[in-house]
Amino acid sequence: MRKLAMVVTVFAVAVFGALMAFAGSSPTLPQSPALSDSLTAPTLAAGDTANLRGPRQPVFFRHDIHAGQFKIQCQYCHFAVEVSQEPGIPSMQTCMGCHLVIAGSDSSSRAEIAKVRDANAAGEPIEWQRVHALARHAHFPHMRHVKAMGPNACMTCHGDVARMPQVFQVNNISNMGWCITCHLERNVTRDCSVCHY
Amino acid sequence: MSKENTEDTSQGIDRRKFLSVAGVAGLGTVALSGCSTDRIEKLIPYMVGDEDNVPGIATYYASTCTECPAGCSLHVKTREARAIKLEGNPGSPINRGRLCARGQAGLQGLYNPGRLSGPQLRNADGSFSDVSWDEAITLLAERVGAAGASVAVVSGAGAGTFSDLLAAWVGALGGRLVRYQPFDNEALRAANQQVFGRNEVPTYDFAKAEYILSFGTDFLETWLGQVENQHGFAESHGFRDGHMAKHVYLGHRMDLTGMNADEWHAIHPGSDAAVALAMANVILSERNRAPNDANTLRSVLAPFTPERAAEESGLSPEAIRLVAREFASQPSLAVAGGIASQHRGATEACAAVNVLNYVAGNVGQTIHFGSGRPQGDGYGALEELAAAMDAGSVDVLIIHEANPVHSVPRAANFAARMAKVGFTVSTSSVMDDTAAHADLVLPNLHALERWDDLQPRDGVHALLQPVMMPVRDGKAAGDVLLEVARAVGGPLAQFDAASFEVYLKDRWAAVGRQRGRHDFRVFWTESLASGGLFDEPAVGDVVRLAPGARNVGYQRPTFDGEGDLVFAPYPSSMLYDGRGANKPWLLENPDPVTKITWQSWIEIHPDTARQLDVREGEVVQLVSPHGTIEAPVYPYLGIHPGVVATPLGLGHTAYGQYADGRGVNALDLLGGEDGGGFLPYLSTRVELRKTRRFQKLAKTEGNPRQLGRGIAEAMPFAAAVEGKTVAEVHGGPHEVNTELEQEAIVGWAEAQREKSLEGDYAGEHPNWGMAIDLSRCTGCSACVTACYAENNIPTVGEREVVRGRELSWLRIERYFEGGEDGEPFSTRVVPMMCQHCDNAPCEPVCPVFAAYHTPDGLNAQVYNRCVGTRYCGNNCPYKVRYFNWLSYAHLGFDDPLQLQLNPDVTVRARGIMEKCTFCIQRIRGAQNTARMEDRQLADGEVVTACAQACPSGAIVFGDMNDPNSRVARAGQDHRGYHVLGDLNVRPSVTYLAKVQHGGEH
Repeated sequence: MRKLAMVVTVFAVAVFGALMAFAGSSPTLPQSPALSDSLTAPTLAAGDTANLRGPRQPVFFRHDIHAGQFKIQCQYCHFAVEVSQEPGIPSMQTCMGCHLVIAGSDSSSRAEIAKVRDANAAGEPIEWQRVHALARHAHFPHMRHVKAMGPNACMTCHGDVARMPQVFQVNNISNMGWCITCHLERNVTRDCSVCHY
Repeated sequence: MSKENTEDTSQGIDRRKFLSVAGVAGLGTVALSGCSTDRIEKLIPYMVGDEDNVPGIATYYASTCTECPAGCSLHVKTREARAIKLEGNPGSPINRGRLCARGQAGLQGLYNPGRLSGPQLRNADGSFSDVSWDEAITLLAERVGAAGASVAVVSGAGAGTFSDLLAAWVGALGGRLVRYQPFDNEALRAANQQVFGRNEVPTYDFAKAEYILSFGTDFLETWLGQVENQHGFAESHGFRDGHMAKHVYLGHRMDLTGMNADEWHAIHPGSDAAVALAMANVILSERNRAPNDANTLRSVLAPFTPERAAEESGLSPEAIRLVAREFASQPSLAVAGGIASQHRGATEACAAVNVLNYVAGNVGQTIHFGSGRPQGDGYGALEELAAAMDAGSVDVLIIHEANPVHSVPRAANFAARMAKVGFTVSTSSVMDDTAAHADLVLPNLHALERWDDLQPRDGVHALLQPVMMPVRDGKAAGDVLLEVARAVGGPLAQFDAASFEVYLKDRWAAVGRQRGRHDFRVFWTESLASGGLFDEPAVGDVVRLAPGARNVGYQRPTFDGEGDLVFAPYPSSMLYDGRGANKPWLLENPDPVTKITWQSWIEIHPDTARQLDVREGEVVQLVSPHGTIEAPVYPYLGIHPGVVATPLGLGHTAYGQYADGRGVNALDLLGGEDGGGFLPYLSTRVELRKTRRFQKLAKTEGNPRQLGRGIAEAMPFAAAVEGKTVAEVHGGPHEVNTELEQEAIVGWAEAQREKSLEGDYAGEHPNWGMAIDLSRCTGCSACVTACYAENNIPTVGEREVVRGRELSWLRIERYFEGGEDGEPFSTRVVPMMCQHCDNAPCEPVCPVFAAYHTPDGLNAQVYNRCVGTRYCGNNCPYKVRYFNWLSYAHLGFDDPLQLQLNPDVTVRARGIMEKCTFCIQRIRGAQNTARMEDRQLADGEVVTACAQACPSGAIVFGDMNDPNSRVARAGQDHRGYHVLGDLNVRPSVTYLAKVQHGGEH
């Protein structure tokens, strides 16, 4: 019985690994400590977050809880991504739409949500650290890519954000070769002036 | 940096408009750090999402231009809650979606680095210190309350709700209001009163005229509505289906309007009335088409013979008769009242031209009275006010949207007379010449930041709305009036609206009720969206000769001084009366005639220059009885040998960093006397003195002559009617390629074709191209500023222009023809930008493939690949590639001008080549939109910035592979040719040769 359980576990890990590799199409696995379930975000103590990749944000906003556990669609907050070259970042009002009611389930999340509420009350927007900043001489119309690639569009470049407690760059988006590889695979334009003008 | 600015301006307001993506907003400053990814950027969200603003998508607001009194309607393009470009509103009957250079540069008034941040109060020592708005309003209210009826206001605001409020406000106090604009057509209005009994400026229908006769009136530059006039002129004078109006220009200087004439005659300054009366005499005595009551003028006109006019003007009697006969034989239009007729006999001249129009039957046909153009009070009223200031009967003087210290001759001493007033207030948003002499400056909000409306004529109610948060801490002058009224009470207590916005909406609610629109919210929203109310123009009133018509006459006007040369100042095409002098786009957009930027100059005929032994760039003094100016000489064939001319607009004593210490104010040579209600600009003789100094002119032209290169082609009207091609008219290509060259060309083309079958190049693609009709293009240079605005082109300044380093992706080349050995002098213009050659010589020489050809026929320049060898620029036969020598992106956009940058266009760093891209960002944007909607692009969906701005509609852009596209059809025109086509570079820009009347008689 114990043996069987072990086999199942190994199998599950293998399948999960393969899924991740497929979904992220990236050599780097998003690391998140003690990821026990693909949908339930782990509880993190302050010490657990020290080694997370990516810039530390003024509020420890967890994409893994919002997009992963609660399955809130990316477009709910990044409202312009289907219509505009810019994805858009949510206004404070969007945060407060939920967090007027939701105060957090544990002390650490309560502390972070309190920061959002305080900032909103003070009329001070939260100044997020930008993670993905494309070089200025390249133009990337988000809406075209979302339209062409459908539901998995975001993940293709940004990685499996739904499993990231802290967002980091999975792919070096400033590496043009990375863009071109995808455009070659899908046989879409490689003309310079489509992005550079 | 941009973040700080937005914070500055968001004080006291919720942060709704806070830039959502600071990184994008900070493009001008942040983007220049190159390719590195380690820079720290912030993403700053809105507090409350703005439904009007989707990041990455432009939002357009309708508004109205206030850069001149014409009242053109705007579409203000905003991105992430800041205005980035001004475009014409197609719904307006005045500008029909087009906009001139000055109008577009209004954006640099909004983001002007010289804008004041809050009210300024003069200290005892003459310096200014900051005061709060509350203090400033309290102080003004005290002064106004104490002064009562001895308050005077000078206002340049156009007719509309603010002006009405101001008039009522001053009226309630019993004070004096002078509505003042320079070049206010005072003499023309007086002449209309005399001849027709109508004290007004009519509308002129250039589109309907088949013969246009201008008496020194620059209707394509500054006179009345330039954009509207240009549209009408292009409609009639542009060659189409064998028709083209003839345009004859009589004036001592060939300005841009004269350059677009088929014939230019340099009549002696001040002789226009004699010529007009002689022509009227010829028409009356030879023809019977004149209205019946015109016959009463026969005896009045009889003494004005062509012979006498010839003696006065220098024209031949035959020429006068000929022009008169041509003028009478078709629907025609004569215009006067422009700068060249602003001599002491200006009213006589305008009256004479009125009579000429009347006897030719034009009044009611091409000239319509009863249009309700707003009236100013004129220079005479300003002089009366100044006399009252002298007499000490003005205690408080408020100056609004006017700069009399600069726009009135120094001899009139306006600044000294201001000092005699107890308390002077300016509402200028920058420290201009007049504000610098005021006791209190209350910076008005820019027109793009405030509410108002304008009525430039009957039937047009154009709205202004705030399109973004104020850039600086200003207050709308309307709100100042209301707040002062609240504090003063008494006679002003009636002005009890909570704010000017409320006041305006109340008025509009009344307008809505009059029109049966009782749901104000819907009426208001619709009006705002369309830019206002644009009614069908009223049918003009029928006017007849008034008794005063019999008093027309001619006296040789007098000139002050004993000098040999008549001094002719003229309003600058770009800077107008001087209000454009703090906007680098206008300073760097070359004067359409001389191609000089950033400077003042003195135009003098080359023969006169030879006699006086002065040459180009030689700094000379002009001395009149009233003053002296010093500027470099520009020898110009298009000026009367007895005249020297200097543009107005520069020589400010204070107007911010771009204008300070730049050039001279030509008005310094004039006396300030009231010439019968108007300022006679053409009233002095000057003596020219040498200084033995030289100054290099900041000219952007190369050789002023074509030297047989066939760049700007033209053909006689008769040949155009016959459908002849340029080659037929000029006898074949300019040069013939040798056999070896042909072989190379064929081989190159074959190699290109083979490559076009591979990769991205295979398959169907559009082939973007452009057609430019030179018979419509006037050279006004609106497209140049449009290009600067759209493509983030930095201005480089006078010193760099002298070094030939300007970056004008689109330039207007101007070529002189004739003028020597007895040939008539004429000019041609040709807009020159990257020709996007199919066999582009720049591409094969680029070692890093930065210059390459796209599948859709563009000659692209990949900035991040470019290493700056400049081989491409050397190999370009059109010289349309511009090298970015210094960090102009930093130097050219002083804070907060970087906020005007277009986020869709890369801001170029130092050391790279840049050039016209055919507005590729607009092509890609339209392609994205079409693909999102699963459809093909339609013809006309991609409009380049130059084509969009062009007031005469000379530029057409589109897909040349689509045989039904407008550009493909224009390319088939018999007048079509390629510049330097014999080089076989196969340009994508087709020019349609200019057509010229002449030689038919």
